[in-house]
Amino acid sequence: MTDAKKPQDDRLSEAEAIERAKGGDAEAFEVLYNLHKRRVYSLCLRMTANTAQAEDLTQEAFLQLFRKIATFRGESAFSTWLHRMSVNVVLMHLRKKGLPVVSLEETIETEEETPRKELGAQDPVLAGSINRLQLQRAIDDLPPGYRTIFVLHDVEGYEHNEIAGMVGCSIGNSKSQLHKARMKLREFLKTSRAEKAAKP
Amino acid sequence: MNCAEFQRILPDIIDEGHTPEQEAHLRSCYICSNLISDLTAISREAQLLQASEEPSPRVWNSIEIALRREGLIRQPLRDSEVPPPSRRWNLAWLLPVAAALLVAFGVIAHQRGMSRQTAQQSPVTPISESSLAHPSVDDQVLLEALGTHSPTMRVAYETNLRNVNAYIHDAEDQANADPNDEEARQSLMNAYQEKAMVYEMALNRSLP
Repeated sequence: MTDAKKPQDDRLSEAEAIERAKGGDAEAFEVLYNLHKRRVYSLCLRMTANTAQAEDLTQEAFLQLFRKIATFRGESAFSTWLHRMSVNVVLMHLRKKGLPVVSLEETIETEEETPRKELGAQDPVLAGSINRLQLQRAIDDLPPGYRTIFVLHDVEGYEHNEIAGMVGCSIGNSKSQLHKARMKLREFLKTSRAEKAAKP
Repeated sequence: MNCAEFQRILPDIIDEGHTPEQEAHLRSCYICSNLISDLTAISREAQLLQASEEPSPRVWNSIEIALRREGLIRQPLRDSEVPPPSRRWNLAWLLPVAAALLVAFGVIAHQRGMSRQTAQQSPVTPISESSLAHPSVDDQVLLEALGTHSPTMRVAYETNLRNVNAYIHDAEDQANADPNDEEARQSLMNAYQEKAMVYEMALNRSLP
């Protein structure tokens, strides 16, 4: 978008842009894209941990949206509609790639669920010491199944029943995977902090 | 309540709050207390990652190309969006370039069609490898013109042109390998149309 068009875009509300996009207005499409691009792209990037794939999926999500925009009647919030569509695009992509949207370890009780006594006993708590970059890297390092549930719940704010419906697992599995994901992230972050502290 | 019992119901405790009995355990157990504190902090920080990343301009350009190709963008430019003649003048000569690309494509496609019809009688001369696989002089001129108005836009269009040139190159290779390959000819047609679209967008819309 050029700088000259920004003020004009800013004046166009989402509702107006939706109506104009239904008529094929190029600027309206761009306004809608600019309103939601960060949320959609961040979702795609967090769930795939891959910039190129995230860009392709963002493009696909918006194209699907724009192709169907004439059917949007406003019963639900436009952003809810778009984000749900984006999640489906990413999940479809993960399934096509053969990546599990739900971790294969879901039913196996591992000792990681119960923290060892020494973990956390000596360390100070993480609160206040987590920076965004560290957390992003830790999420990227999660197994895809754990990452999906964590991003949908803790980043995107979906409830377990919604996640269960989207990824095709039980609510119990969603809760269990979220907990395991958080435990893994805690482990990553503590290790990362310990390594950083050990450097001269 | 001991640690094992507490940690068994930990997932529910974090998201739904704790009972007085669980609260009592937290006060007496620093391990469980630290654990709850860490997991809550992770969850809280994660919320800040929502909408934290900006996609590259390439994404919108690709979407716009696709929307135009699919005919979803239908409305013509309004008069107020048309740059004044003085600004259009410098780049006006580039418009025929886009048209020339389409014409070139048409000629190639026509030749291909004819070749296909006579494939049984005479060998087909393969299309020479196009210089469009790499930025052409026209591409460079367009990019320089874009760069003077917006460096970001230049980068985006540079990527688009590189992609579409590679697309053309691949499609040509495929068509040369098998001149009767209908799909390859269709790909080549799409590639040229896409390039013409990139030029058209750069000239008519994306420049201020």
